[in-house]
Amino acid sequence: MKSPTIRLSQITPALLLASILPLATAATLQKGAEPSTNPTPTNDAAGNDVASTLPPPQPLLPKLTEPKVSSAPPVDRATLSPGKIRLELCFKGLSEKNTWPTTHPVADEVHEAAAFGFFELPHLYVDTGVRADRPNPLFVRASAIVNIPAGRHRFLLRGRGASCLFVDGKPILTTPFPPPESDNRPVTVQNQFLDLGPTFRFAPPGNRESWCEVEIESGEHLVILETIIGGVRGKGHNRPELGETVAAFSPEGSYDWKILTPEKTEIPYTDAGWEKYREQTENELAASNAKHRAEARNQSSEYWARRRKHATEWLSSTKEEPVPALPPNTPSLNPIDHFIGAKIAAFASQLSEAKSGSIDFYTQIQPILEARCRDCHQGGKAKGGLRLDNLATLLKGAKSGEPVLVPSAPEKSGLFTRTKSTDPDEVMPPKGDRLTPKESALLETWIKEGAHWPEFPPLPTEYTALCSDLEFLRRVTLDTVGVVPTPAEIEAFQKDTNPNRRAKVVDRLLADPRSADHWMGYWQDVLAENPNILNPTLNNSGPFRWWIQESLLDQKPLDLMVTELIRMKGSERFGGPAGFGVASQNDVPMAAKGTIVSAAFLGVEMKCARCHDAPAHSYKQEQLFQLAAQLGAQPIKVPSTSSVPMDKLHSGGRKPLIEVTLKPDTLVQPTWPFSDFVKDNVADSVAEQPEDPRDRLASLITAPENERFAQVMVNRIWARLMGRGIVEPVADWERGTPTHPELLRWLGRELVRSGYQTTHITKLILNSHAYQRASIKARREVNPLYTTPIPRRLTAEQIVDSLFTATEKPFRTEEASLDIDGIRDLSTSISLGQPRKAWMLTSTSNERDRPSLSLPRIQAVTDVLSAFGWRGSRQDPSSIRDHAPNSLQPAVLSNGIMGTWLTTLTDDHGITALALKKQPLNQLLDSLFLKLLTRLPSDVERKTYTEVLAPGYEDRFSSPKPAATPVEPRRPAYYVSWSNHLDPDATIVRQKQEAEARKGDPVTPWLETSWRLRLEDVVWTLLNAPEFVFTP
Amino acid sequence: MAPLAWRLGLGNQSGLAQATFPKGKAEHCIFIWLGGGMSQIDTFDPKDLGDNRSSSKKAGSFYPSIETAVPGVRVCEHLKHTAKWMEQVTAVRSVTHKVIDEHAFATNLVHTGRMISGNVVYPSIGSIIAHERGAADPSVPAYILVGYPNVSRGPGFLGTKDGYIYLVDTKTGPNGFTRPADVTEERIQRRKKLLEPLQAEIPPKSGLADYEEAQKEALRLAGPKFMRHFNLEEESSTTRESYGGEFGQRCLTARRLVQAGVRFVEVSHNLNFLNGSGWDIHNEGIRNQHLLIQELDTALAGLIADLKRTGMLDKTLVVVGTEFGRPAEFDGKGGRGHQGTAFSMVLAGGGLRHCGAYGTTDELSKKIVEKPVTLPDFHATVLAALGIDPKKDLMDGSRPVPITQDGTPIADLMPQA
Repeated sequence: MKSPTIRLSQITPALLLASILPLATAATLQKGAEPSTNPTPTNDAAGNDVASTLPPPQPLLPKLTEPKVSSAPPVDRATLSPGKIRLELCFKGLSEKNTWPTTHPVADEVHEAAAFGFFELPHLYVDTGVRADRPNPLFVRASAIVNIPAGRHRFLLRGRGASCLFVDGKPILTTPFPPPESDNRPVTVQNQFLDLGPTFRFAPPGNRESWCEVEIESGEHLVILETIIGGVRGKGHNRPELGETVAAFSPEGSYDWKILTPEKTEIPYTDAGWEKYREQTENELAASNAKHRAEARNQSSEYWARRRKHATEWLSSTKEEPVPALPPNTPSLNPIDHFIGAKIAAFASQLSEAKSGSIDFYTQIQPILEARCRDCHQGGKAKGGLRLDNLATLLKGAKSGEPVLVPSAPEKSGLFTRTKSTDPDEVMPPKGDRLTPKESALLETWIKEGAHWPEFPPLPTEYTALCSDLEFLRRVTLDTVGVVPTPAEIEAFQKDTNPNRRAKVVDRLLADPRSADHWMGYWQDVLAENPNILNPTLNNSGPFRWWIQESLLDQKPLDLMVTELIRMKGSERFGGPAGFGVASQNDVPMAAKGTIVSAAFLGVEMKCARCHDAPAHSYKQEQLFQLAAQLGAQPIKVPSTSSVPMDKLHSGGRKPLIEVTLKPDTLVQPTWPFSDFVKDNVADSVAEQPEDPRDRLASLITAPENERFAQVMVNRIWARLMGRGIVEPVADWERGTPTHPELLRWLGRELVRSGYQTTHITKLILNSHAYQRASIKARREVNPLYTTPIPRRLTAEQIVDSLFTATEKPFRTEEASLDIDGIRDLSTSISLGQPRKAWMLTSTSNERDRPSLSLPRIQAVTDVLSAFGWRGSRQDPSSIRDHAPNSLQPAVLSNGIMGTWLTTLTDDHGITALALKKQPLNQLLDSLFLKLLTRLPSDVERKTYTEVLAPGYEDRFSSPKPAATPVEPRRPAYYVSWSNHLDPDATIVRQKQEAEARKGDPVTPWLETSWRLRLEDVVWTLLNAPEFVFTP
Repeated sequence: MAPLAWRLGLGNQSGLAQATFPKGKAEHCIFIWLGGGMSQIDTFDPKDLGDNRSSSKKAGSFYPSIETAVPGVRVCEHLKHTAKWMEQVTAVRSVTHKVIDEHAFATNLVHTGRMISGNVVYPSIGSIIAHERGAADPSVPAYILVGYPNVSRGPGFLGTKDGYIYLVDTKTGPNGFTRPADVTEERIQRRKKLLEPLQAEIPPKSGLADYEEAQKEALRLAGPKFMRHFNLEEESSTTRESYGGEFGQRCLTARRLVQAGVRFVEVSHNLNFLNGSGWDIHNEGIRNQHLLIQELDTALAGLIADLKRTGMLDKTLVVVGTEFGRPAEFDGKGGRGHQGTAFSMVLAGGGLRHCGAYGTTDELSKKIVEKPVTLPDFHATVLAALGIDPKKDLMDGSRPVPITQDGTPIADLMPQA
């Protein structure tokens, strides 16, 4: 086996296998890895001169144990484009049993492909472009004219579903239907995976495979690969996955395998070749999927054009929010700065006015109001409709029309006179102690002096100047694409002399597909995306993350995105918005979804209303159930488990805080519960299908008339970029008052005007002076006047993704699945794919505490994410992450497993390459600081770091010792999945993987050890610098 | 500012002063988790012997039972060491809930004492106790998990500060608090020096300073002082051996952690290679169930004896929890399915008035005959044993959430005032 020109007869499988796989004899291998009907040639197990014992090469008909059409599929060569595979997907005529159809299924969809290497089909998009499921099972036929040289070649077929390979109308290979579900299949069956040469790619988990040798004439051959994916599993179905469905061949005289392709370029079927092919194909698939989504969306373009027209008309029929004049000496880059500046100026004058009197509101009056009045006069349920939380509401008076506060006239102000009243029906407070004479006097004086109530307690009103270019670049890159800027991005920005370079960067970043990644975690939290890779249980939803991602990639208008969510169409288990509609083990899933929808899009917090009316919120349980009935598109009966029994309410003797006004068993009709935002009849003209409760609901939430929606959405964007919402909390507006109501309204109208494009709002904010000002590091809280930003703690996802981006260490984890070989029912196990970014991870779900079900590399990353406030399991929605520091955060970064991966210089680590570059130490330091912290080192830093890295710098290169010849036989790495996790060997394999994860990859041999360790310490320090986890 | 999760000092003890509930004096809790569902009828609630052979199938216990130190209280023959300690133990035989279909769901219920709501993520018993009592010593965390992380063991709405730090293996220590092997003291010093100029610019009382403070604490903890709690070599070989194998060593680690001031340690018994499926003894899984029981027996008796020896038994409540039990009947291959309506969980030490067994089930351990104990009651018992008011409210933001769903402690077990 030394020469690539060796004759095939000399490299018979038996020979190869006998030398490479001592554990498996050629005889056992012929049976295939899993129950199969592999039509393998009869080999001589002893490895003697096999050529002479081989059966005649033509034809090698497989032993077909299942009913199978004997004729080749009638593929018309005329339909095949040269150099392309015609990929047909057939839905009809398939049996509900795992058998081949008796007639040739006809194509329902036709696509193109480049090679006989399939791992994912183009998605099916329905409605406005949401992912949907195709019928299951699905028949796939790939046909092409392939040029094959003459010779006696080996052919390979593998796939997850049953498959068959035809050459020139003759079936030459088949693979069987997937095996039954199991949990204790021996790990060692993996020893029987085919090994057909030194560069042969071993079968990945969950594929059946077979091979044969065929004598072929030179020229064009019609190659057809048919496979049935999905299929029946007990009472359910397999996931409709392809695994790695591949037809490959190894030309006579060669060890090497190539994927069959009608194209001229060769695709080596090796691990590296497959990886490259897969990446390229993924990109092509992504592009064609986007195209298909756009086509689907176009189907309803008429309706959405009508919505845009409606919005424009609404805008012109309502009053514009005037942009205030810019006060003197106020820096401004766009209208936002006018609003911010006007507010600061107004507040400054309030402060100076307040100083003219003798009373300080915040230290002298507010404590009285809080102690004596606030209990009854707060929130949506304030007595007499009177809230005592700001000057404006006091000036407006009570619902009854009674004047409450008349500045300079205490005798006309109920706030004062009522405290003096002797009438028991009039006096305030109605119960408890009267105000002390001192308190009354304070109130009287305060009103007499003009009732100065500055909007905020004293706050700084000075601005900072614009931040530096590099600070801006790091901040804005983190805030848009969620990671730190790359050296190339830094260089391009620094070279740009255009005065508009900041705006140009903003435009570039907002068009960058990574900006979808940055918002993923946010929406997963807000919409409680909660799939579980194993047995959906703990209030699990479907994996609608893929719908969120596609919505963000497509920069879908928000009104459309919300409409799609509420319509809940498409795929439930594979990434459509239907997955949002699921809440496992929940007595009223739609009520749970109602609390999500109301908080996400309307800033209405209804969590309490799930079971009772809340003391602090005005919305009642009935309203939540009306919303739930709308979402469910049918009346809903209130179960007793969604209520609080009256006897429990009254136990303990004291007056219950909560009330139950919606009796269990009440049937609640679908009804729009928020007529205070917009009247129900708006839906008659705005909804696409006004008779559909879900469509009605979607239109009422997103109609321009419902100003609340646009304002809630712009407030969410604002809060994320500015560190504080104009209304706080962003998901519960009843508990907050806008600090800048005019700006909020203006931004809301801008959102409507832009066609509900979030990027328009983001762009306005990022281009404002208020955003671009230098931060003040000494402050913990954002000044509500937005005079200066502060360093904001990055989100967990920003931290993890930035660490990998900055170091260029590949983000390498296990596939996010516990059923990687696909033998479980699609209702019990899913795969979330190969994670590339932090948001793609999920809870490792090891509730069973079985070491064999651990995912050590994913766990190492989720440990970091969880410490910084990410949730692997999202049973409830959340708009605010826990950002409080705790020692677990720095601990897991500095000494945790993932931290160790990033600070160990391996061959694939970006800093290794940097260190190997021939350059003066000073330049290396500059590059390191720029790459990791987006700034240059200070003088002190340069000095300290030079002291550490200078010794041995010139001699840092090392030549690796020649690699030891591997003594271990070539063998696929064992995998563990649900199918074998109860085999005791599985635990051993997993524990070995855990140990390997902990150890990390081997260090680079190209750097001298002592110097490398010092550089690793430098990298460790820069990554663990507190500034790394904050925006500048 | 409490940069350190466990720097909450004594936690929130405001409810203690006017407590009217039966109050215990336990200071710590070691919570042993038998994931998969311990078969009560084969362990702490033995009944007449059954037969799992298909030819002569008969519902009942899989093993004969033996006498214990408490007259009239019997346990299965594979619990012979624990049997001697039953005066310090109460097998609560009448625990009941209605969730049997799925492990994760029942695990969540037993850890949080609540059904899933979709509106609130409830904290685990470990996080509740960490939240209420803090660590007994500020230099250690309040809550340590020896097992795999999952949401059921997490802090829920209480937030990360009341979460656990975890380890999956006694030899490697917790992730983040164990220095990699090649990070020598020299490198630690170098890193410190390199970090200094980066910290110099951080203004005091800022968000960055809070983080830096937490970082100093984290680096200190990754040092030898904290890590020595995981070094079992410091124990005599007699002590180590008395606990048995890896699971026993986890229990010994738990004792050392409790001694160091950790308030709550959850130890999972997850070594499923002993019998294949662990405590989830469907089908053939039952064949070697006795090995699991014996391992539990050695470790549990070893732990009780060691706590007694070190004078910590009365202030350390040991709980053996599991997500559900198993029916008396055998399945197709002689194993057992799931049963939530009646199953056993075990309490030991902690200054409770133990009685060997509490609650009674019928002749096949299927129905509860007397003294049913709901999950909220069980939680209330554990909380009360640790001096925490089981009727108080926790706060989820601005929203009060009762600490248990209307649970009442088992009065018979509570120490007399």
